[in-house]
Amino acid sequence: MKIEAIKEQLEEALIKADKIVGRNASLPVLSGFYLDAKDNILTVKATNLDLGISVSVPVKVTEPGIVVVPAHIITSFVSSLSTDRNITLSTKSQVLDIKTKATKTSIKTLPSEDFPLIPEIKEDNHFSIPARDLVFGIRSVIYSAAVGSIKPELSSISITHEGEFLTFAATDSFRLAEKNIKIKKVPHFKQILIPQKNALEIIKIFDRGEEEISISIEEHQMALRSNGIYLTSRIIEGNFPDYRQIIPKESTTSAVVLKQDLINSLKTSLIFSDSFNQLSLRVSPKDKRFEIESKNSTVGESVQNVESVLEGEDISINVNHRYFTDCFQSITTDSISLSFSGQAKPIIIKGVGDTSFLYLVMPMNQS
Amino acid sequence: MAVLQAFYLAFKGYTVSNKIQMDYKQLWQKVLVEMELGISNANFTTWFKDTRIVKEDGGVIVLSVPNAFVKEWLLTKYHNMILRSLRNLESSVHAVEYVVNKEESRRRDDRVQKEVGTKELPLPEVEVNKDDNLNPRYTFESFVIGPFNELAHAAAQAVIKKPGIMYNPLFIYGSTGHGKTHLIQAIGNHVKATTPSKKVYYMTSEQFGQDCMNALQNQKMNVFKEKYRKYDVLIVDDIQFFSDKQKFQEELFHLFNTLYDNNRQIIFSSDKHPHFITGLEDRLKSRLAAGMTVDIPAPDKESRIAIISAKAVQQGIVLSPEIIDYLAHSINGNIRELEGAVNSLLCQAELKGKELSMVDVRNYIKNNIKPKKTVAVKDVVRIIADFFNIKEESIYEKTRHKEVIRPRQIIMYILREDFNISYPAIGQKLGGRDHTTVIHSCEKIKTDLKQDQNLLEEINQIRGLITV
Repeated sequence: MKIEAIKEQLEEALIKADKIVGRNASLPVLSGFYLDAKDNILTVKATNLDLGISVSVPVKVTEPGIVVVPAHIITSFVSSLSTDRNITLSTKSQVLDIKTKATKTSIKTLPSEDFPLIPEIKEDNHFSIPARDLVFGIRSVIYSAAVGSIKPELSSISITHEGEFLTFAATDSFRLAEKNIKIKKVPHFKQILIPQKNALEIIKIFDRGEEEISISIEEHQMALRSNGIYLTSRIIEGNFPDYRQIIPKESTTSAVVLKQDLINSLKTSLIFSDSFNQLSLRVSPKDKRFEIESKNSTVGESVQNVESVLEGEDISINVNHRYFTDCFQSITTDSISLSFSGQAKPIIIKGVGDTSFLYLVMPMNQS
Repeated sequence: MAVLQAFYLAFKGYTVSNKIQMDYKQLWQKVLVEMELGISNANFTTWFKDTRIVKEDGGVIVLSVPNAFVKEWLLTKYHNMILRSLRNLESSVHAVEYVVNKEESRRRDDRVQKEVGTKELPLPEVEVNKDDNLNPRYTFESFVIGPFNELAHAAAQAVIKKPGIMYNPLFIYGSTGHGKTHLIQAIGNHVKATTPSKKVYYMTSEQFGQDCMNALQNQKMNVFKEKYRKYDVLIVDDIQFFSDKQKFQEELFHLFNTLYDNNRQIIFSSDKHPHFITGLEDRLKSRLAAGMTVDIPAPDKESRIAIISAKAVQQGIVLSPEIIDYLAHSINGNIRELEGAVNSLLCQAELKGKELSMVDVRNYIKNNIKPKKTVAVKDVVRIIADFFNIKEESIYEKTRHKEVIRPRQIIMYILREDFNISYPAIGQKLGGRDHTTVIHSCEKIKTDLKQDQNLLEEINQIRGLITV
């Protein structure tokens, strides 16, 4: 193999592929990149056997060939080159030589015949969505997915569509986040469940992309394609719980607060929260007070009053601090509405005037 | 040493392959030994971990693999090696296929979140799929096949192979708790799993009726008609509830014709043969019976043993062979009762915190299972005489009044059909009649039944009275 590449392009491809290189795999070849040069294209492949990626970069191929090199070595090396623009890669027996104007480096290769194939998903039935929207949708809900649950449906992101909206949802059964994103095209799938871990990688790889991503689905497996990147992930077989039926239809108490005020008060109460992260919310429309109390027997206690517009009955309810605050990252409006519908019922949190995002959080047991 | 062992295993496997069918686990173990010797350890653990043989079908071995990567890799890299060693062990093997097993790709993570205090969202358990109404719990894997239901099972398999062409409609009947619903839903689940493009829908007659009523009230019959006509496989459970409901029958009739003409598979279940469902229009009856009509009778004892064992395994309870045998012996017929018995035994075992002894099981059975039906001829006579409003004694007398003859014949017929009493015994009990008289009476009722709707209804009502 002998090729000439432009540093920035090669570096970008390597960094993208490096994100999903297998780390603790028992098979050494999995920690490598599979570099395949032909027809003036260099394809960088990597896999951790859960996700597979292949990134194409235009290069000048003098001599086509295949080589597997340790991913972290070549990625760090190429990133460290600062001045040179052109890089020449060539193989000689079991060594990959990398030459630039100023440097001459050789990296030991790995046996290429052991490198796994990346499953190829047919593109004939695909659906495309701007990368920005996909990443935004996943990011808006992913923190609610369970980490390593025995129920695989709960440790995944559900994507469904209804009319002109694509709905992203995730829940770990203690809280639930749902985000609707308007789409132009109607997808061909009913529902996909992407494992939470893989969804994290999808965010990293396609983040800040303006291009369209084409999504194709097969049994057990999905593929995302855009701009020379091909990413394939396992998908979960199963049904996401039909959560819509547990969203309370009516509320007994509602509160509207400024997001920043609430976040500030919660920051203070976090200092005094106990080992269960318990917060007490006391909403009293009669006294026109919305209080957040946290207590820690070893540190002390604190009560914050948040300025708010309140309606309905008085209620006092305990929540987990972390679950309660997680959702603020997905709320883009300045004001937040909280609706309560009783002691053992979930609290609904939304941005005022924003119907695209919904968050449910369960209260803690009253003790 | 390992090499020798592998040779030994391969040799042994080769010599016996034609005589015995090695069980899958053993066979695969032997293949794994060979593979391990042939490839590097790292490759072996990466690619052969969590693989197993799921089935063998006419020389085609189906391997379950944890994910698509492994499938692809085994197929391109190790396919020949696997096939070769399988053939060495089982000469009948001629192909290997790979399937991704979703169960095993669900990696169990130890870091299960433990959150103190916060209540859980009351998320509905994913039990019934809204789109097709099927309960995923009912599959062929969990369906216990015995002599009593193998015909029904075979018919179901035939339907799966060629939905809409073989046996259309498929009509399955049998008493409650004999596994009708399980079987027909398993067909639906199987078709759905193998050909996701086919639209499958399961409904009970009640749902259909409800839907029809709503459509009538809201004047949306068109929507209703459209809804059911789009399915490729339509499953209707408990069709007997349509009796005497003219409008529903009419809708079902038209729906049936449309689906049938388009070669869509239709599956029905009922508690009786279509001809014996009362209050059903003839044109519907004849259509229901036009395809394949199979009966699921009560399970025989061997099947009951198999079912109890299967349920016990499902519930994770250990029952000794004696207990299983005793349960199978004392609980007759209904699979639901068998299941209930296993469940309550499980519950008791958990309460007591120890394994159940035979005495516990006996006590349970004594308190919970209704005794076997025994019948006195006198009681049957009394019930039927009451039913026809005639004097009990007149049955035993030699009167030949018309109003007595009919009930007497019915009594003979029921004693014979339902309680299997011999002809001479019946004759003797009913005032010393000759056995040929009894035979004649039974035949008479049998032939009359074929034409006389009222008689059939009467007999069914009488049967109801007797079993109460």
